[in-house]
Amino acid sequence: MRHTVKAASIMSVAALALTACGGSDSGDDATSGEGGGSDIKACLAYDVGGRGDQSFNDSAAKGLDQAKDELGVQIEEVEASQGENDAAREDRLNQLVDADCTNIVGVGFIYAKAIGAASKDNPDISFAIVDDASADSAGDNVAQLVFAENEGSFLVGAAAALKSKSGKVGFIGGMDVPLINKFDAGFKAGAKAVDPKIEIQTKYLAEDGSGFADPAKGKTAAEGMYDKGADVIYHAAGGSGAGVFEAAKANKKMAIGVDSDQAKTAEKDVQDVIITSMVKNVNVAVFDYIKASVDGEQMSGPQEFDLKDGGVSYTTTGGKIDDITDQLDDYKQQIIDGKITVPAK
Amino acid sequence: MKFSPRRLVLTLAAPVLAVVVAFVITSLVLLAVGDPVAKVWSTLLSEPRPRTLVNIVNSAITYYIAAVAVAIGFKMKLFNIGVDGQYRIAAFAAALVAGQGWLPGGLNIVLAMLVAMLVGGFWAGIAGWLKVTRGVSEVISTIMLNTISAGLVGWGLRTWGTRAEGSNTRNTTEIPESSQLEGLALVADAPNRVYTLVVLAVLVGIVYWFIINRTRFGFDVRATGESESAAVASGVKVPRMVLIAMIASGAVAGLISMPAFFGADHSYGLNFQEGVGFIGIGIALLGRNHPVGIAFAAVLWSWLEKASDGLQLQAGVSPALVYIIQGVILLAVVIAYEVVARFERRMEQKQVTRQLDTATPEGASA
Amino acid sequence: MSTTVTDPPSAAGNATDLAVEVEGITKRFPGVIANQDVTFAVARGTVHAIVGENGAGKSTLMKMLYGVQRPDEGTIRINGESVSLHSPADAIKHGVGMVFQHFMLADNLTVTENVVLGAEKLHGIGAGARAEITRISDEYGLGIDPRDLVADLGVGARQRVEILKVLYRGARTIILDEPTAVLVPQEVDELFGNLRELKREGITVLFISHKLDEVLSVADRVTVIRRGMTIDTVLPQDVTSRQLAELMVGSELPTPQTEESTVTDRVVLSIADVTLAGAGRTVLEDVTLDLHAGEVVGIAGVEGNGQAELVEVVMGMREPARGRIELEGTDISDWDVRRIREAGVGYIPEDRHRQGLLLDSPLWENRMLGHQTQEPASKNGILTNAAARTDTERIVREYDVRTPSIHVTVGSLSGGNQQKLIIGREMSHAPKVLVASHPTRGVDVGAQAAIWDLIREARREGLAVLLISADLEELIGLSDTIKVILRGRITGEFDPDVVTSQELGSAMTGAGKDAS
Repeated sequence: MRHTVKAASIMSVAALALTACGGSDSGDDATSGEGGGSDIKACLAYDVGGRGDQSFNDSAAKGLDQAKDELGVQIEEVEASQGENDAAREDRLNQLVDADCTNIVGVGFIYAKAIGAASKDNPDISFAIVDDASADSAGDNVAQLVFAENEGSFLVGAAAALKSKSGKVGFIGGMDVPLINKFDAGFKAGAKAVDPKIEIQTKYLAEDGSGFADPAKGKTAAEGMYDKGADVIYHAAGGSGAGVFEAAKANKKMAIGVDSDQAKTAEKDVQDVIITSMVKNVNVAVFDYIKASVDGEQMSGPQEFDLKDGGVSYTTTGGKIDDITDQLDDYKQQIIDGKITVPAK
Repeated sequence: MKFSPRRLVLTLAAPVLAVVVAFVITSLVLLAVGDPVAKVWSTLLSEPRPRTLVNIVNSAITYYIAAVAVAIGFKMKLFNIGVDGQYRIAAFAAALVAGQGWLPGGLNIVLAMLVAMLVGGFWAGIAGWLKVTRGVSEVISTIMLNTISAGLVGWGLRTWGTRAEGSNTRNTTEIPESSQLEGLALVADAPNRVYTLVVLAVLVGIVYWFIINRTRFGFDVRATGESESAAVASGVKVPRMVLIAMIASGAVAGLISMPAFFGADHSYGLNFQEGVGFIGIGIALLGRNHPVGIAFAAVLWSWLEKASDGLQLQAGVSPALVYIIQGVILLAVVIAYEVVARFERRMEQKQVTRQLDTATPEGASA
Repeated sequence: MSTTVTDPPSAAGNATDLAVEVEGITKRFPGVIANQDVTFAVARGTVHAIVGENGAGKSTLMKMLYGVQRPDEGTIRINGESVSLHSPADAIKHGVGMVFQHFMLADNLTVTENVVLGAEKLHGIGAGARAEITRISDEYGLGIDPRDLVADLGVGARQRVEILKVLYRGARTIILDEPTAVLVPQEVDELFGNLRELKREGITVLFISHKLDEVLSVADRVTVIRRGMTIDTVLPQDVTSRQLAELMVGSELPTPQTEESTVTDRVVLSIADVTLAGAGRTVLEDVTLDLHAGEVVGIAGVEGNGQAELVEVVMGMREPARGRIELEGTDISDWDVRRIREAGVGYIPEDRHRQGLLLDSPLWENRMLGHQTQEPASKNGILTNAAARTDTERIVREYDVRTPSIHVTVGSLSGGNQQKLIIGREMSHAPKVLVASHPTRGVDVGAQAAIWDLIREARREGLAVLLISADLEELIGLSDTIKVILRGRITGEFDPDVVTSQELGSAMTGAGKDAS
């Protein structure tokens, strides 16, 4: 989804505990809700689409719901309207402050500047932003929640190489920005790890956000790759991915989904071409951020959620890669153990 | 037309009627989906916090200029859908130039605004030229130009923009501090400020009013809009007017993002506010192309938009409700104006007949 | 006239033999009386023609018969039953169908699809419909194959499809609006063959036209309409096309008597060898014409023979391909409209609603129209509203424009008062030449006389007036010289003091040889 790029999440922090301790994320599905979180109010500010977008925003919402259920925190959520500027986003964050939120998450990097400004105006509130680690959003009271998309992409790259019969695979990105470059780099590294001679085609769809919402473009790009012999294509192009799946279906080839388990969330008739998806577990990041506050350990600074934390993963829905999961899990372990370092660009 | 109390009542009747209709329809929608009607209205009508109030005003400033740009076209029955593309490409060009800081402070701002007007006017002029020389409908050409401008700006941003470490957005060079406008502290207790270039919006409104209503050129514009054939017979060169009107519309469109650019953004990037051109169309319709009407419409629009967050937080309703209200108001206004205009025309005819029948027994009828 | 047929036709004494009766129909639009006390009757199974000049009110009348518009007064009876038609569907229900001048067919559909469109309930959309179409086509000899694609059909065949459409919907009375305008002569003959066939099968045809020869060859009865009023109903065998023309344009004794001649020998406007090319043909050819100060030159002609184009060329809306137009010795043929108007050419356009006024604007803004660049409308590019208002008050007073105020929209005035405002406006800028195109069309009788007086007064003041009119009465009464225009050429010149309407009529149709 477009929200791969534009996502923001909010989190709440324990009242005045401003202990800045980073990286204390536990990979396990969170545990022990002590019930001590009642004075925490965790609030999410979504980008356009909000809860129910079947993708990025939904994933963040899931983390929030989990925090409510398991940690007993109060929650609040607001979504954006179309055609906003930074002032509107900043105002939204401030309205959440006014609504007594203690932890506020901006879902999507589009909130970067707004988070930066709001966090300075409200030093007592904890903020978090999903998918941004720039100076725009940085601050003592800001946790920058980012993901090791390169690691997840490595695994699906390996899967693509293992599944490819032609020795040719493809990558389609929505937009040529560092965030998407990370997917690209991981995918290439994974495929090359399996087959150093593999041929990888790469295509970015647009110079702006439209590349994440243009299925026709995605389809054209994918068809070109399939014509040139590729038989597995991985997309990190949001809504444009629907076109990639259509092309795969029409050419009887394979495709790999992104962000959510697309073998479940994509259109029914194309689900069977999706052999796996690189899932970005925004819910894990959101939950961990809230939980840290409940535990009195305020998160701040860049926080990367990787394979180890369960921040990224791959899916097996549909059983298309059941034959290679052992190999994939082996790569996963090597990455977690640090035996393989996945490049990010 | 002048000082007629009936006319005043009729002028006010349309917007009042529209608002009442919108109120009723929206309430019905709320009832139908089971949302809290009273809570929604009390939230919508509550006094906004100072900070939000400033944001409402700031948004309205942007929308106002956009709507005037659209209205210039409307006056000539030209539908400039391309305001969106025009202001985008103009904003980008202005940001590039202003970022260089070739001139000091205020002069830099003036230069950037001139660039924006030139680029916006040029971009709209393409559509005008196509219409005049090739008969291409401006609706079609401006839609296409919107897409082209998005592509061009994307490419330009990639070529000339820079990316901060860790950031996913790309921005043009930030303008020098001397050109950044701090804003006017018009609202007490607000931590933020009203864009300094609110004066630009006011100026645009006054110039627009003056040119349309007080100059011969404006008369030609109005005449062409009302009846092209009559305008031709009166000596107006319609193709020339079409071209000029398109360029003027585009030039004003170029100014749309200037208040926010100098007052807040300071550079052009992916966080640029999109779609204002389309909002401008709605507001121009709502404000009946009248400079004062547009001002009210812009504030109303912006007010509703900013109420979106509050509605979600306090009334727990979907933000889509705001779109529904905006849509209903727009529809209601268009219909109400038509109804009132017809009523007015009929009244006037009756009045003319009645007065003449009593005044001159021989009458005008055969 | 001696040819008058008593109404209703004596042959049809029984009321039920009348397919359509129209009695005392009046229809007013803001500013225009389109129809006034129109009365006629159409016998079943006949071809009944309605003739009249453009703007005489034929179309409005037909629209009322077809339910598109509703009369303000009067009754319409169909098959002896008084009806109130609110929509075309109502009309169809009563068996009245209409074929418009511009066909309403979808090119990429077949004949069957076009015919059943909107009438799917009658015979379905499949074989049943096809069979019915074939049956109708055979019965009336239309020669239509239901499977043909409309795109492949010629104009004549398309027209027959339109007729078939109407018959398919059960019409027994068909209104044809200017059906021959789009046809070539052979197709016209074919159409007339079809109409006779329809007549034989008991269908009634109402045929609207201003082509008199055609009307005389096909119609059983002819009703003439002028100025929105029924002038007469005649039998074609009793009249010649010349007599019919006189009925159309009016041939009563000219009431607008010219006074003593004020013609001088000073040429104000000189048109020399002006030629104008139109779409595929020459619409003006070598037109040469001099207007002297104090002279009214009338242009007589059947509508569509180049009068409108002549006006457009003089006013600068079109540029002649050849020839010169001089205003007091200055060549103005390549000037634009504004410059020509500023130079002193006043203009009373043929269609005041389209060309002369902004209907939704107040009187005082209309006072500016056409003179935006001049005082009292503007000064140095800035409008001078107050001055314009003051001057509008003066015009209203001096030209007897009857209005409650100068602030009401001009569209709410009657046609005559609108026209008086226009004349007042044009006269206020001391023109040297006045181009008056159908100055009294669509205005009531009272205003007509006033407008005539105003033109006479202009002439007295030394203006050169170019008067285009379809009303021979008006032409003869006002002009010092009458020129006849036929197919874009000036074919004759007459002295209004001695010419008769008959002579003019035949010159206009090209029938007479008396043109000099």
